[in-house]
Amino acid sequence: MVFNTGAALLDAIVLAVVSREDEGTYGYKITQDVRRVIDVSESTLYPVLRRLQKDECLEVYDRQFDGRNRRYYKVTSRGMAQLGLYKSEWKIYIQKINEIFEGGVTA
Amino acid sequence: MNRIEFMAELERLLADMPEEERQAAVQYYADYFADAGEANEAEVIRELGSPEKAAQSIKADYYGTEFNESEYEHKDYMEKYGQRSSNERAGGRTDSGTGSGQGGTENGAGSAAGGKENDRPWTSNTLKLILIIAIAVVLWPVTLGIAITVFGIAAAVVCFFAVLVIAAVSIMIAGGVTVIVGLAFAIAVPPAALVTAGIGILLFVLGLIATVGTVKLCIIVYPAMLRGFVNLCRRPFYGKAV
Repeated sequence: MVFNTGAALLDAIVLAVVSREDEGTYGYKITQDVRRVIDVSESTLYPVLRRLQKDECLEVYDRQFDGRNRRYYKVTSRGMAQLGLYKSEWKIYIQKINEIFEGGVTA
Repeated sequence: MNRIEFMAELERLLADMPEEERQAAVQYYADYFADAGEANEAEVIRELGSPEKAAQSIKADYYGTEFNESEYEHKDYMEKYGQRSSNERAGGRTDSGTGSGQGGTENGAGSAAGGKENDRPWTSNTLKLILIIAIAVVLWPVTLGIAITVFGIAAAVVCFFAVLVIAAVSIMIAGGVTVIVGLAFAIAVPPAALVTAGIGILLFVLGLIATVGTVKLCIIVYPAMLRGFVNLCRRPFYGKAV
């Protein structure tokens, strides 16, 4: 993609991806899901997940899988509120951009 | 490098982080490899770049510093749209010698990236401290002289203002004593006693005013001196804007 994905947008995308799974989801899957949409390297997401966890937007729990403990991420109620904020901000943002792109600039 | 080597190296690189942080990061990447599956192991390692890069991204976020991904790879649109390949730029960065045989653009990219590397600040406070101590030791006869001089001047200034206060207080006391002495003669020689007492009161008031003034002066001057001295000591470490 030509456009850079800023920190806030990346947070929003990760929150949205995780929120789609009621049971929570794990690092590898989150990375794959996010990479389907935007071009990020695999080492980008761990710090984002860790930060969201510290901000109490995500919670983690370990569950047995395939004879090992797998760490799952789940969106908290605080995370949902944050995601809602991002979504409404995003709507305003793309609306304005679209106005300029498609509506033309009326001085 | 396989995943076991990768994980061992990552763990080693994160050794200076708090235990909890390191555990979380290591668990994440261990999970990541396990979920990617053995078939994708090489692909994941290639994508992650190097343990150094992964460690850097973890630490950068934890310590709140900037993680400059472009130092590790070049995933910008120039590369994507085929104007410049990542390998050429990476080659130019790590070894500008390889670029010399190629076209001008590669050379430019190489030197630009190299210049960026040089822009990074190279000083550190520890280094400065060591340098300052080293200079002080080498020039110790001079520095000792300067130190004594500075200390002497500071002591002189401190004493000067202290003496002003003492002088003012002395005048005040002298005035008080004069009043008392004057009143003692009140019965024997009334006119002389009145004159003496008057002069005493005048002296006392003058002394009082001088005392208040000089104490105020000290309150202003002493902290300012201390601040100036502290700033002077801090300057080598924090630059002019303290």
